[in-house]
Amino acid sequence: MRAAGLALWLLLAPAPAAAAERARAQVACVPAGPAFTYDCTIRLTGEASGAPLTGVEVTVGADMPSMPMAHNVRPARARPGGAPGEYAVRLELEMHGHWALRLRLSGAVRDQVFAHLVFTSTAVLTAEPGPVPAPHRPHR
Amino acid sequence: MDAYAVGVLTNMGLFAFVALSAYLLLVAGEMSFGQQAFFGVGAYAAGVGTALWALPLWLALLLGMAVGAGTALLVGLPTVRLRGLYFAMATLAAAEMVRIFFEVFRYRREVAGRLVGPDGTQGFQEIRWVFERGIEPLGYLGLIYAILGLLVLGLVLLERAPLGVAVRMVGEDPELAAVLGVDVTRLKLGVAAAAGAVAALGGGLYAHHNTYVEPRNFDIMLGVHSLAYALVGGLGTVMGPLLGVGLDVGLLEGSRVVRGYRMIVFGGLVALLLLVRPRGLLDEATVHRLGRLRRRPRPGVPGGAPAG
Amino acid sequence: MLVDVVQNTIDGLLIGSSYALLALGFTLIFGVLRRLNLAYGPTIMLGAYAATWAAREIGAEGLALAAITVAGAVLGGAYVERLCFARRGGLRGAATARGPAIASMVASFALWMQLEEVVTLALPRHLYPFPPLYAGAPLVLGPFLLRVEHLVTLAVAVLVAGLLAGLLFGTRFGLAVRVVVDDVEGARCVGVNVPWVLVRVFALASAVGGVAGYLIAATSGQVTPMLGMWSTLKGLIAMMLGGLGSLPGAVVGGLALGLIEVHSQWYVGPSYRDLIAYGLLFLCLWLRPAGLLASPAARARLAATG
Repeated sequence: MRAAGLALWLLLAPAPAAAAERARAQVACVPAGPAFTYDCTIRLTGEASGAPLTGVEVTVGADMPSMPMAHNVRPARARPGGAPGEYAVRLELEMHGHWALRLRLSGAVRDQVFAHLVFTSTAVLTAEPGPVPAPHRPHR
Repeated sequence: MDAYAVGVLTNMGLFAFVALSAYLLLVAGEMSFGQQAFFGVGAYAAGVGTALWALPLWLALLLGMAVGAGTALLVGLPTVRLRGLYFAMATLAAAEMVRIFFEVFRYRREVAGRLVGPDGTQGFQEIRWVFERGIEPLGYLGLIYAILGLLVLGLVLLERAPLGVAVRMVGEDPELAAVLGVDVTRLKLGVAAAAGAVAALGGGLYAHHNTYVEPRNFDIMLGVHSLAYALVGGLGTVMGPLLGVGLDVGLLEGSRVVRGYRMIVFGGLVALLLLVRPRGLLDEATVHRLGRLRRRPRPGVPGGAPAG
Repeated sequence: MLVDVVQNTIDGLLIGSSYALLALGFTLIFGVLRRLNLAYGPTIMLGAYAATWAAREIGAEGLALAAITVAGAVLGGAYVERLCFARRGGLRGAATARGPAIASMVASFALWMQLEEVVTLALPRHLYPFPPLYAGAPLVLGPFLLRVEHLVTLAVAVLVAGLLAGLLFGTRFGLAVRVVVDDVEGARCVGVNVPWVLVRVFALASAVGGVAGYLIAATSGQVTPMLGMWSTLKGLIAMMLGGLGSLPGAVVGGLALGLIEVHSQWYVGPSYRDLIAYGLLFLCLWLRPAGLLASPAARARLAATG
């Protein structure tokens, strides 16, 4: 009931919060032991300042761009990593392929950033959102 | 409610819009592989509304619905006399054309110092209207279900009205409906437009939930999945597609037991179910029987239950 | 300039021959069942993946791989047929009944999902190399380049089409099939064992698909999980362009699709290529839904139900 009421109020267009700092994220992952599990390192920097962002609570979720809303990956809380602005998280995905990781930032900085990565059994590579290549190689 | 549950419920709620969209056309007797196109159109239109034209969310969603309905008519008018497989293929072709259109569509404007807008295959980033107002996932979930609830209520009321009866009649036997005076073409186009608007509404909500969309979000998989959910859940009632979505996106996807084998399990269950129940779990016969149960005669009352 | 047009035309016909093979299989199933088998491409993919596995694990090559692909496709097709399209006793509705048709199609979609997951569980990488058909340089014929693997595909397509024509018009089985295609109830009335015919046509269609799958995989040198949906789409579009239920139409549709794709890609690039193909399909359905080469019977049938 409360949620619905809140939702209805929000629908009626309150003004946005003052422009806050935006974050940039660089994510690198390696396969961990169990299947479809990966250990990821996230480097957060301020978009404007370029300085590493510390004291941020990072929660990482994931969805597949080619099958939206079809996956429910359990969001994982990242822990601070070695260097300032570095965070580490263990992700449990459901299959290999192109995933869009959704980093929800709160605490020192409130923002939402996406990282596109292609997860395979041996490595994780960055991917850009874009068309899927056809399996039939071009004839020329 | 923990973040995981919120995520699952949000996915279910959003998928329900496309499933309902496919359901509406199925009830009218047509199978569409293309409702994902209107989901996409609604997402892009609502996104453009809030991110580029500074519209409030409600207005942007309405804009999305209007564009969705319009696109549905654009697809529906040339295909209104097609039946069965021909219609299905036409919707598939149209949906892919819409998706490819978004792969080349660019509309960028500078807003608050950064370039924002649909950018072809890169997608449409920065749909942050909801995010920037501090609306948390739980609140947005409430919004999605509030809108879904209103929609379902409206559809349930329409089903009982003469309009709903006419649509079902057209779905069952269009020749008979025409003989009885129903304008079959007008009705089908109306249902197509409504289905387009419903899918577009879901798309607009999805765009703001995700803060970005890209053309490959709206490919054939989404469309055929929503068709499957609508059929599996049952074509007898508006609750059918919701049940279908709940079973796969909710139950199976949320269960750890079938992790990694979900599609094998769901696929097998669907095929087996459709062998015995070609109109789904909550098909017309079941709904009718459930309705009769509610109207059971009270003890001591002579006569029996009234017919139906 | 002219050289480009001719080269593109040649390439289009060559690529179109693999589409024609896919469409032939699709048309066989649709002709007798009047239903769409969305799991057709995935069963072909199953065969191709089985062959890939065999190539990796036991070093199979060449014709053995082709045989494995066909076997895999036929097995997959049998599974799909039993679960989705087998008629269960009695006159369970005419072939054009609306309800059960959607159910079979959605059931075949469910099996598509199953097969795709099975395949990615067995071989999880996004791309696997497939032993190529021919590793040498393309043939040079004056100013034109001809890839040998494409020529082989064209030759096989012509051969398969010819064999099918011989089967359908020269044997009793073919006669039974044509009777079922024309009128299922009539066929039953004159004593044709319809279920028996259906099972065999399905197997035949799967075999044709398997051949197509082997040639496509060996030509592109790789298999990916997208092969299933891709094959289904190409076969479907080619079949609709040429005319539903018409075997010559399947060949014409496939070749036409190949020509359209190659020429479009040359002049407007890959993004618009698919747009044009789908646009033409839509146009075709709008203005001439029975297809380019529909038989008068098909057109009449369409007019009667449309």
